[in-house]
Amino acid sequence: MISSVQMASKSKWALIISAAILIVFFLVSILAPWIAPHDPIQVNLAIKLSSPSWEYPLGTDHLGRCNLSRLLYGARVSLGFASLIFAASLGFGLLVGMIAGFKGGWIDLLLMRFCDGVMAFPNLVLVLGIVGLLGPGLWQVVIALMMVQWVYYARMIRGMVVSMKEQNFIAAARISGSSTGKIIRRHLLPNVLPPIMVMGTLEMGWAIMDISALSFLGLGIQPPTPEWGAMIQEGKAFIRSQPELMIYPGLMILFVVISFNVLGESLSERFGIKRRY
Amino acid sequence: MQKYKTKKGLLIAFVASIFLVTAGCSNDDAASQSNESTEGSSTSITMSWPRDIGAMNPHVYNPSQLLTQSMIYEPLVSYEEGGELKPHLAESWTISEDGLEYTFKLRENVKFTDGSPFDASIVKKNFDTIMENKSSHSWLGVINVLEKTEVIDDLTFKMVLSEPYYPALQDLAVVRPVRFLGESGFPEDGDTSKGITKPVGTGPWILEDYKKDEYATFTRNPDYWGDAPEAEKVTIKIIPDAETRVLAFEKGELDLIYGEGAISMDSFNHLKESGEYKTDLSEPVGTRSLLLNTTNEKLADLNVRLALQHGFNKEAMVEGITLGIEEKADKILSTNFPYTDVEVDAIEYDVEKAASYLDEAGWKMPSGKSIREKDGQPLELELMYDKTDPIQKAMAETLQAEWSAIGVKLNITGVELTVQIERRKAGDFDVDFWYNYGAPYDPHSFINVVAEEGWGVSEAHSKLPMKEELNKQVDAALASTDETERQELYGTILKTLQEQSVIVPVSYMKKTVVYQNGIEEFVFPANRDEHPFNEINVSQ
Repeated sequence: MISSVQMASKSKWALIISAAILIVFFLVSILAPWIAPHDPIQVNLAIKLSSPSWEYPLGTDHLGRCNLSRLLYGARVSLGFASLIFAASLGFGLLVGMIAGFKGGWIDLLLMRFCDGVMAFPNLVLVLGIVGLLGPGLWQVVIALMMVQWVYYARMIRGMVVSMKEQNFIAAARISGSSTGKIIRRHLLPNVLPPIMVMGTLEMGWAIMDISALSFLGLGIQPPTPEWGAMIQEGKAFIRSQPELMIYPGLMILFVVISFNVLGESLSERFGIKRRY
Repeated sequence: MQKYKTKKGLLIAFVASIFLVTAGCSNDDAASQSNESTEGSSTSITMSWPRDIGAMNPHVYNPSQLLTQSMIYEPLVSYEEGGELKPHLAESWTISEDGLEYTFKLRENVKFTDGSPFDASIVKKNFDTIMENKSSHSWLGVINVLEKTEVIDDLTFKMVLSEPYYPALQDLAVVRPVRFLGESGFPEDGDTSKGITKPVGTGPWILEDYKKDEYATFTRNPDYWGDAPEAEKVTIKIIPDAETRVLAFEKGELDLIYGEGAISMDSFNHLKESGEYKTDLSEPVGTRSLLLNTTNEKLADLNVRLALQHGFNKEAMVEGITLGIEEKADKILSTNFPYTDVEVDAIEYDVEKAASYLDEAGWKMPSGKSIREKDGQPLELELMYDKTDPIQKAMAETLQAEWSAIGVKLNITGVELTVQIERRKAGDFDVDFWYNYGAPYDPHSFINVVAEEGWGVSEAHSKLPMKEELNKQVDAALASTDETERQELYGTILKTLQEQSVIVPVSYMKKTVVYQNGIEEFVFPANRDEHPFNEINVSQ
């Protein structure tokens, strides 16, 4: 009894703290142009690799660019594009999942077997393949990640819709003459969305990791735009003299991804949702 | 209870085995370290290399490594400091008046490691198999003009060219393909392009042991005709990752790390500053340049090309990005190559001058904008770089920032190396990074690509008003038989190229070496691809 109370309060705190961290990161990414002390792509070789000072609170990188400003702008790219991937794959997954779940029959079969096919591959391998075909660039990465992530949403939504459409309140709505569109809008969507949003929180963490990983490999964002994964890659050449060039962006990724995961976990505990793994 | 006991017994056995294994490890470590340190004093050298050495066949290219090919096989003439050609397997040679016939007197008493003698017939046999696969060697000028080869007597060999080509001897000094395999190394049909039976050379080193992707060991050739190297044994460990190489070196597992880009500049400086090791930089092995493609209308204007050159702080860029390891370059070819001692006016960093050149060319800055325009068109260019090369990438970002200050928008595109080469060959670029070939290929390979189409460099020069004349001068220089005439032609060609600024020299690249104190002396080989082991002095 006591332990479950402890658990609950622990998860409550975890939720509050992780949500607070994420809100801060989102604020920073939105406000980056106003709060960043310098232009993140301004090169000044005379002050390259300088240590922290009042003017450059986190020092400068190998081209004399302000590390702090690059980190702040990097938050923009990571969070912004992760949100975009989240929204796009959610939208598409919702559409496919609803159709498959509601229509059933051969449409359902076809769509779900396609999802199975996509899920059969490890995510990153598939993304690498797609980016390889499309060529490097942030938009290509976004498209590739979206193309592999929507299937998870689609499957989950389809499962929920299938079990829900047999329930009485749907039957009641149908008997009282509601159209299919109205049933989806008024009765299915409100029930499906909350758990999906929770799952999406977990996926956001993954999306950020994937964007960074691809940028680290040189496939994601192209220079000089600052991005955390790309910053780690650039810092790698100076691992001996200036390890902090890798540590700063690494910490950023760590904080954001952990926060998303903790937030997702504690939310799913509350809603009683199982993760996909 | 019984069950519990067995479990406990298993646990004890497990723990004990872990102890044993770990103890074994540390013993091993100690043993191998002491072993190596004693070996180090008994004249053995251990070096790392990023890639597997490949098949030790003298007549094939990648993945066979030049470094190890040059340890086993030797050329007729060798390329020495300053471009001087010295007798090697050929004791002397004569060239006919018309520059068509080369007669080599071969060195006496040279033996292959299989015991067979090195003579004119084996030289011809090697030439024959090379010429059978002419298409794969056509990049080398001498192969294209080689008409026939003859055995005059046991130790006299003649080579006849179809047209005069002065760098024929330089081409014979390269590491592949014109080096010599012994009789017993040839496959039955005599065609070495598909493989050899065993690596039999005349060189100072014999391949003793080899494990793919792990190591290769070489021992000194006891019957070597020339000065025997000091070290008795060379071990080459394959370590693909640069940081791992440095760690292995610091642990004492490697005696030296040598090569171009073998360690990061940051690590090099770190090891140098530590004071515990010896480090050295070679003479320039090549020039890192920018190629401005004149087939782009904007770059066809000399004023724009000059403006771009005035518009970036070369010294700060080279010093800043290469951490002082490369040297700022004003000349397209560094003067340690033959025929390159040409007077040039260095183009200094001068933003105002850059701006006035652009104004003169008609590229004006519209009010309220940051990019210059002409006839409503913005001054926008694309620079492609090899995205896996951190130096190219950093330089691209710097140029982008610097040229934006003079009103030029530079878009930078990171591409795969193969894409970069393909696009360059197709002339499909505005600005690109480009390197000359180094010793012993330059300067003749350099002027050759300026004239010869298909490599992107000639294409980049194609809109120069004097391009045709330039081509003629290049042909004349390559065919020249007179030393002073050749010197003059080189002078004119290099002067034109320098003035036209299609090739913008950025920095002179250097090889790095770091070595343990046990090695007394290290000398960089004059030939860029040759191995350094003959000259290494190991303290006793």
